[in-house]
Amino acid sequence: MVYLDNAATTGKKPGKVVAAVRNALINYSANPGRSGHRLSEKTALAVYNVREKTAKFFGASGPEKVIFTSGCTQSINMVLKGVLEKGDHIIVSCLEHNSVMRPLYKMGIDFSVADVSFTDDDQTLENFKNLILPNTKMIFVMGASNVFGKKLPIKKLGELCRQKGILFGVDAAQTAGVVPINMKNDGIDFLCIAAHKGLYAPMGIGVLIAENAIKNTIIEGGTGTDSINKSQPESLPERFESGTVNVPGIMGLGAGIDFVNGVGIDNIAKHEMKLINKLYRHLSKNENIMLYTAKPDLNSFAPVLSFNIKDMESSVAAGIIERSGIAVRAGLHCAPAAHKFMGTIDTGTVRVCPSVFTTNEDIYSLVNAVKKFEKK
Amino acid sequence: MKQYRITTGTVTYAIKGRDLLRRYGYKVKLERATSQSVSVGCGYSLIINGDLSKAEELLRGADVKILSVDEI
Repeated sequence: MVYLDNAATTGKKPGKVVAAVRNALINYSANPGRSGHRLSEKTALAVYNVREKTAKFFGASGPEKVIFTSGCTQSINMVLKGVLEKGDHIIVSCLEHNSVMRPLYKMGIDFSVADVSFTDDDQTLENFKNLILPNTKMIFVMGASNVFGKKLPIKKLGELCRQKGILFGVDAAQTAGVVPINMKNDGIDFLCIAAHKGLYAPMGIGVLIAENAIKNTIIEGGTGTDSINKSQPESLPERFESGTVNVPGIMGLGAGIDFVNGVGIDNIAKHEMKLINKLYRHLSKNENIMLYTAKPDLNSFAPVLSFNIKDMESSVAAGIIERSGIAVRAGLHCAPAAHKFMGTIDTGTVRVCPSVFTTNEDIYSLVNAVKKFEKK
Repeated sequence: MKQYRITTGTVTYAIKGRDLLRRYGYKVKLERATSQSVSVGCGYSLIINGDLSKAEELLRGADVKILSVDEI
């Protein structure tokens, strides 16, 4: 199978990651730090090493700021529900995923939606600036659209938040491992990370890096610390890690970060974007194909491309493509807001996302499969 | 040389503190906190030899929260 659904989960994992997960299950199968015996302590050290590695990779101020979660969605929920309170206002982009929008709807928090310009980041910045109210507590955006690949101007938004004294949260589901992120330089207070995508870790592990205070917890329980206290302890990261952490996932993440560092983020991004551009070139020659953005480049886009076949629902097109042995994703990609903005809410889109393992041949297979849709 | 037990509360702070103090030449051992060293239940301690006040200063400077300090 040719797997081009890496924006959902990277299909192929590096051997180092598989080995690290296996090693965790065999040699680190203890509750890290909780039990006090030698294996527990050894496991705690292994988990700590990944915290340190993760903090360094994302330019965080210390390993204790790194909170392991079940995935990016949990991380986002922890930020939004932990920080925002009645009377607060938040600004999000028009491209956000349901992992942001559904919590906001449920919480009943007052929010505004800023349009994203696909051609002018300064205009996007202006759109956010114009929506700031006296009670705006946070700007929360995705690093790049999971549907159309458009990157948001993170550094500029971070500067804006600093100037205005507003908290800044980023959903890095599509950018971690493909776009360099430095929380300090980018002015990010809360970074939400999916480890199973561009960091090549297994599913079920995510990260929240919190440089600023999160007042409320959404899960309480055992932390292995301050146990006599009826309240959740204040210290990070344990405050937000009730229950046993996912040690195999964490060690897989550590190996994934090593892998990405070894290949180099810039090399990964260039490779994937080269493949996306190749695909774009071929698709743009086909009159029956609808593309929604200009030819993507790394300054403005993450390597994700959406298209449609004229007069065909995306799921039908993806089904036909799959008959050629190619896995792509169709539908709304859990981001109806983005589709409303781009006018694709009725059809969804076919989404293609390569990984570091994707080859030219994989892309040509898709190009050939899509040729079936050419006008005769 | 005197030996001290610095209790940090969490294993994360304890490992961070241990690594930091070792970089400054301290001999440090990590151990599960005893009920004598932590009254609130469950935590980790650093057993150190050397200048206590400098160690405390280093730990506090790195945001490592100290719950208690005892001479052993």
